[in-house]
Amino acid sequence: MSVHKAYYDIVRDWLTYNIQSGTLPPGTRLTVAAVADRLAVSRSPVKRALDLLEQDGRLSRDGGQGYVVFGAQSAAETANLHTLPLHLPQGQTATLVRPSWEPILEAVSEAVMDCIPFGIYQISETEIGNHFSVSRTVTREALARLHDRGVIAKDRASHWVAGPLSARMLDEAHDIRRLLEPAAIAAASPLLDRARIGTMAQRVARALAASAPLPPELVDDLEADLHERCLAPLRNRKLAQAVGQVQLGRVVNRLFDTYIGQHDETAMLREHQLVLNHLALGDAAGAGETLRFHLDAGHLRTRDRLKVLSVFSEPAIAPYLTRIS
Amino acid sequence: MPRGKPDRPRLRIIGRSELVTAPIRDQAQADLDMDLEFELIDSIEGLQRVVTRPGSFDVYHQWHTVDLIWTARCIQAIDLARLTHGAEITAAAHARSGPSRIIDTVFDKLFVQPDGRLDRIPTGQLSMLPLLHGVDSFAYSPSICAALATDEPESWGWMLDKRWEGRVATISDPVLGMIEAALAVEAQRSQSFGNIGNLTIEEVDEVADILLHKKKIGHYKGTWNSFEESARLMQRGGVVIQTMFSPGAARLRSLGVPLVVSVPVEGCRGWHADLCLSAATEGAALDAAYAYLNWWQNGWALASVARQGYYATFPGRIREHLDAAEWDYWYLGLPAERVLADPYGAPSVPEGHRREGGSHRERMSRTRVWNTFMDEHTHVVRRWREFLAA
Repeated sequence: MSVHKAYYDIVRDWLTYNIQSGTLPPGTRLTVAAVADRLAVSRSPVKRALDLLEQDGRLSRDGGQGYVVFGAQSAAETANLHTLPLHLPQGQTATLVRPSWEPILEAVSEAVMDCIPFGIYQISETEIGNHFSVSRTVTREALARLHDRGVIAKDRASHWVAGPLSARMLDEAHDIRRLLEPAAIAAASPLLDRARIGTMAQRVARALAASAPLPPELVDDLEADLHERCLAPLRNRKLAQAVGQVQLGRVVNRLFDTYIGQHDETAMLREHQLVLNHLALGDAAGAGETLRFHLDAGHLRTRDRLKVLSVFSEPAIAPYLTRIS
Repeated sequence: MPRGKPDRPRLRIIGRSELVTAPIRDQAQADLDMDLEFELIDSIEGLQRVVTRPGSFDVYHQWHTVDLIWTARCIQAIDLARLTHGAEITAAAHARSGPSRIIDTVFDKLFVQPDGRLDRIPTGQLSMLPLLHGVDSFAYSPSICAALATDEPESWGWMLDKRWEGRVATISDPVLGMIEAALAVEAQRSQSFGNIGNLTIEEVDEVADILLHKKKIGHYKGTWNSFEESARLMQRGGVVIQTMFSPGAARLRSLGVPLVVSVPVEGCRGWHADLCLSAATEGAALDAAYAYLNWWQNGWALASVARQGYYATFPGRIREHLDAAEWDYWYLGLPAERVLADPYGAPSVPEGHRREGGSHRERMSRTRVWNTFMDEHTHVVRRWREFLAA
């Protein structure tokens, strides 16, 4: 699992990629300060990356001035790195170097969510460290954030534990969600691209007309349309973050689709259609009201589905989780 | 029996052993022109199979799981028009008396609504074919009567009573076990639970803590998985009081073990068992499945299990299959005119015995709670496992 890479490795990969692709042509002068500024990272990993690239034979020393991309070139050129259309290796996001706990946070969060409908699990700091090849500090940072989100807790013996996902947890998340998300969609409504809403509505209409059961990925994507993409333009980032954290029901529905396989999503689709129609007309208040109706109806379906899941034992779990009951 | 002939349909049935008894399996095979394959599964695995592999069965004898399996859509709606006695089901749903009052819980989730939900408003589609119901409680040996106060009423509290410490047994199933334990705890505390069929996390913890303590001080002699095991515990296991299914009581009576089935003042635990069609069944197998459903509706099988204490949800179906003495004892609650046999033909009910709790109507009116999966089922199972392992 290579979720985590050291900073210097990321910088090294990024430079290698751009040298190979020709974006950084032979003769380009690279200084520690300029690369660090371009990538918005500190200087020491950049220094180490440049040293390693020299060992790789991709860079050569340019006296005391820094490094030059290796190759036939008369004189070294100092380019403004900010003007070069630099490419990111595939899979990398625009923010090249993310905090090292961030990818772990999402991976652990997902692994925990996928098993807690089935019981209580203990989370091993050591095993997370081994699994993702990260330090204790990074692991603790990620776990502290999961704790803030209410996903995990410490038991009396000071072990990290999670679960079980109870009907009450769903109820509590729903109570908050039905207050926040309608307000969020009403606030996002004037900022939404109407044509995009039209496309979403067409997708729902096609799904409703389909005779075969919908594949789980499609259901998940339709959910993302309404519950993520329609909220994306929201200017209040705190509200957006809070809404994201109470969408617990989506975990249950995704698991239900994965493990039970059978589903009838007609009611869900018709409710989505209702909300999208209000958004398409620019009726922000109506969109909020219909979204609340959808959330309430969806909550009852989710409760029923959690009950079905509860008669099963969990599927394969991550190596850093241990079922304790 | 000829098997696997190409023109003969095959029907795969999943049910519990005490529900789809040997006499019923034999009679169905003799009456129906199809190959019947019965799979008897008494554990939670039956439900897991049904939910995840609807392609592996055609008919399921459901037992307090219809809401779960309908949510999972592993069963298909039953077309009322294809049932021999479908009209009587609709009539009962409309009526203000009769089956829909006695076992309202069956009718609450019987009809498939246009939006896919289950409700009591009649439509042309059923989630299940209602078949059987009953109430259960605990049973005890008359030997404990000496320790009872004069006119002491039978109470679920007896299941936790110190007087028979070390001689108590309980069911090992968490769904039913938790309901019965909650009834017992409630009988001992001054305040009742909000909804005894759907306990909160704290209420489950309260009940589980008491059970664990009792187990650790040696209150329980054993737990049981099937009615045969429960009968053995009482026959020669030293148990004097325990949860009892009516087939267990019938078995013990056939064996001549003296026994009282309680009618607790707090009320009884009700159940119903019905027939469901797999979502994956179609064509000739679906025709065969409807034939099997209609075979149950004709009443022979319902009458057979009436002799172990079950009630047919439409009692009119079984009148012709029970003789007057049987009808009077099981349904009217009158003293047995003669010795009555169990479903296997063994003499069971002694002459002159009157069924505890009385008639069908009287007994069902004592239902306090229906078997059901609680919302916090995961938590119930977790605490129950702790109890079993203690």
